Amino acid sequence: MTVAAYGAWICLLSPLAAAGLITLAGGRLSRRGSGYLASLACFVAFGGALTTFISLLGRSGSQRTAVSTAWTWISGGSYRSGFEVMIDPLSVFMMLVVAGVGALIVAYSIGYMDGDDEERRYFAYMSLFVFSMLLLVQGGNLLLLLAGWGMVGLSSYLLIGFWHDRPSAIAAAKKAFVMNAIGDATMALAFFLLIKKAGSLDFGILGGEYSSTVANLVALGLLGGAVAKSAQLPLQTWLPDAMEGPTPVSALIHAATMVTAGVYLIVRTHAIFEQAPKVADLAAGLGAGTLLLAGLIALVQVDIKRVIAYSTMSQIGYMFLGVGLGAYANGMFHLMTHAFFKALLFMAAGIVIHALAAEQDIRKMGGLRRLMPRTYLAFLIGSLALVGIFPFAGFFSKDSILAAAMDHGAYGYILWVAGLAGTFLTGLYTFRLLFLVFWGEPSPFVREHFHALKPDVPGVSLAAPVAVLAVLSVIGGWIQWAPLWHPVETWLQTVAEPTVSPTSWQEAVSSILALLLGLGGISLAFLYYGARRLAVPRFAFPQRVLEHKFYFDELYDALFYRPAVWSAKTLHRWIEGPLISDSARELGDDARDLGGLVSHLQTGLLRTYALAIASSVAVLAIVFVAVK
Amino acid sequence: MMGPGTAWYLSVAGFLFAVGSLGVLLRRNPLIVLLSLEIMLNGANLALITFARHLDNGDGQIFALAVMAVAASEVVVGLGLIVALNRKRVPLDVDRLSSLRG
Amino acid sequence: MLVASVGNVLVWAVWIVAAFACLGSGVAVVSFSNPFYSALALIGNLGSLAVLYLLLSSEFVAAAQVLVYAGAVMVMFLFVIAYVGPRTESPWAGGPSWQAVGAVLAAAALLVEIIVVIGLKAGGRLAHSHHVSGSFGSPSYVGRLFLSDHLLAFEITSIVLLVAAIGGVILGAHSRQAAGEVPPL
Repeated sequence: MTVAAYGAWICLLSPLAAAGLITLAGGRLSRRGSGYLASLACFVAFGGALTTFISLLGRSGSQRTAVSTAWTWISGGSYRSGFEVMIDPLSVFMMLVVAGVGALIVAYSIGYMDGDDEERRYFAYMSLFVFSMLLLVQGGNLLLLLAGWGMVGLSSYLLIGFWHDRPSAIAAAKKAFVMNAIGDATMALAFFLLIKKAGSLDFGILGGEYSSTVANLVALGLLGGAVAKSAQLPLQTWLPDAMEGPTPVSALIHAATMVTAGVYLIVRTHAIFEQAPKVADLAAGLGAGTLLLAGLIALVQVDIKRVIAYSTMSQIGYMFLGVGLGAYANGMFHLMTHAFFKALLFMAAGIVIHALAAEQDIRKMGGLRRLMPRTYLAFLIGSLALVGIFPFAGFFSKDSILAAAMDHGAYGYILWVAGLAGTFLTGLYTFRLLFLVFWGEPSPFVREHFHALKPDVPGVSLAAPVAVLAVLSVIGGWIQWAPLWHPVETWLQTVAEPTVSPTSWQEAVSSILALLLGLGGISLAFLYYGARRLAVPRFAFPQRVLEHKFYFDELYDALFYRPAVWSAKTLHRWIEGPLISDSARELGDDARDLGGLVSHLQTGLLRTYALAIASSVAVLAIVFVAVK
Repeated sequence: MMGPGTAWYLSVAGFLFAVGSLGVLLRRNPLIVLLSLEIMLNGANLALITFARHLDNGDGQIFALAVMAVAASEVVVGLGLIVALNRKRVPLDVDRLSSLRG
Repeated sequence: MLVASVGNVLVWAVWIVAAFACLGSGVAVVSFSNPFYSALALIGNLGSLAVLYLLLSSEFVAAAQVLVYAGAVMVMFLFVIAYVGPRTESPWAGGPSWQAVGAVLAAAALLVEIIVVIGLKAGGRLAHSHHVSGSFGSPSYVGRLFLSDHLLAFEITSIVLLVAAIGGVILGAHSRQAAGEVPPL
């Protein structure tokens, strides 16, 4: 096995080993020990990813793809799937992001979850999640990708509902899982079609020629899965509820990695989407719609984590916009920078929540700027990166997506306008959050409940990853500034050649407009919330619509939940009750009655039994005599 | 063979068997039941010996001796049970010994 | 001829006496209320059976019947009946229950069937019996059979007797607890 293969397998299996060890060790491992073990495993995974990356760097472009098979997993008829790992630029890119950010967040969890009774279960689940996500991105065929896909859904369910004595957490976990299951179903259907047409699920088949019907259907199925996993329209309602989980979970799963799996899927199967351009346009359109929807809803949220969650939804909309238009490298680049600054924001918010004794309502906060200056700085860096202000990370990644939209005809321009509007909204809601939480005078709640971080192990574990991510949010974007230098695009070119190439003039226009709009949003937020010069406008109807998240939950409730409950109740009353349960019960009663009748024969008297034997002998004798 | 033929002896054996079964089925004292059982066994023995004589085959006599030995063993155990029951002050009435009533 | 016919008459006479004694004592065993009398009737039954065996040229079996059955088994019976004490019980009291009716019917059915088989079905084959040699029922004849053709039966029978003896000892042994510790059934 080559060095690259070794690195890839170590990367994949190390978190699984940690999950297994923590589970088996049980109480023998201390709570903090499980945290150290999980973090160590993730750092080892990152090391493996780094090894593979460096090994691939040394090769030339076309040599960078390899598949390393462990054994043949399924072999039936002419179908064969191996348990194999794909080593190519795209998977290595994702490995680095997942393992790197994952390691930092798991290390952060040591401090965040310190003192929780079920810390070991938490770290086992987190390790399981990191393994599942790595399986998803490293899977050497679509079947393993699906396996990883399902397992990240499972880990998400387990971690959202981690505090299982809260009914709201359990309900949120179920909601997330069910909506993800819809996506899993459409993906499975797409895979069935692929098996029928191509006979295998290896990545090689993706480049085959398919009729337009087949390509459209497969792409739709894949898009369904991506939309569900990445919380885009119309399956976006589960993501805000998923904030019931611990903050590191929100950071890792619902910001940096799992929700970006949909984007990875589209890039991986881009060949199919290129054969189904209408579906790709649909993807871009859904991305743009989600982007605006989430941005608007975020304006009225009062929970610090939910604002960031909607921001995640919105930014993934940008990524869908990008990959739907064919700007694969840009989409992936934005995925990477987004992982940095979104995780940073979540983790800084986590520190705030910890400092205020688990309070998450921003209306009760204020004036934390002087009380937690370094956290404020981290939050500020994250916010600036999110809005896309030069020279922070988001600037470089987001703007190139917007530029790509200009290269797609009239439809592209509509999306471009939507993207720019989204930039304005991003500035507005992000800095609304920052000003409300950190500026102004400390609120009475803050004065009463605030307690600073201590420089002990939990404190260090909370602060150090935040610091690392803050640095990455600053410099992470400097790795590509299209069109001047684009190593990311070159790296991913062998896997996913972009189908759009905006001119430098288009890039410049997009960048400047986006920057201006972002600054405009920030200024407006400053006027409303920072310096409180202007009163916040209150329009009743829009306010209500936004607070109800455009009534999506109510719509789905009426469309799906109520009919399902009604049909279940009706079936139970008319079919299951009388036909099945009652008949089963009657069968039991009848058997018992029959037994009661028969038991009359058991008199317990010796003479009765003797009489029975004598009578039987008499009868048998007659039978023998007659037969003979 | 002088005297009555085989059929007569067999009738006696059959009658003995029937009378013995009547006793087993009708009497309540376990001692009498055991005695009736002995009568049944003797009826069978008589039939065996009769056929041995009829067919000039000594196996019937062997069988009858074996039956005698088994009957003796069974009487030993049965009487031991009755003695044990009596010692425990259990009434010696097969109709009262019905704790296996289902 | 005359000796043969006199012999025949003698055999018939002995047979009739023995058969009726057998049947009568059998009915007596079943009918007496006092178990002691029933046991005595059984001894008479066994004796008459021994006579019948003699008529059938099975001398050894007849001797064994008297010695083992009437001598050992019945003595044991009498001991136990004496130990248990007088318990009289009338079988015909209280009118005929369904049990009694059923029992009589079953016994009658058995009897009828046996007669039918003997008379109608197997009548032809029962007519001519074989001629037996003088040593037919002798101890040497029986002994040779036991030790050659039926050795396994011989051994197993002895094991059965051993087991019964052990069982008898165990059942009859005094238990070490105080009397009256088991509630009556």
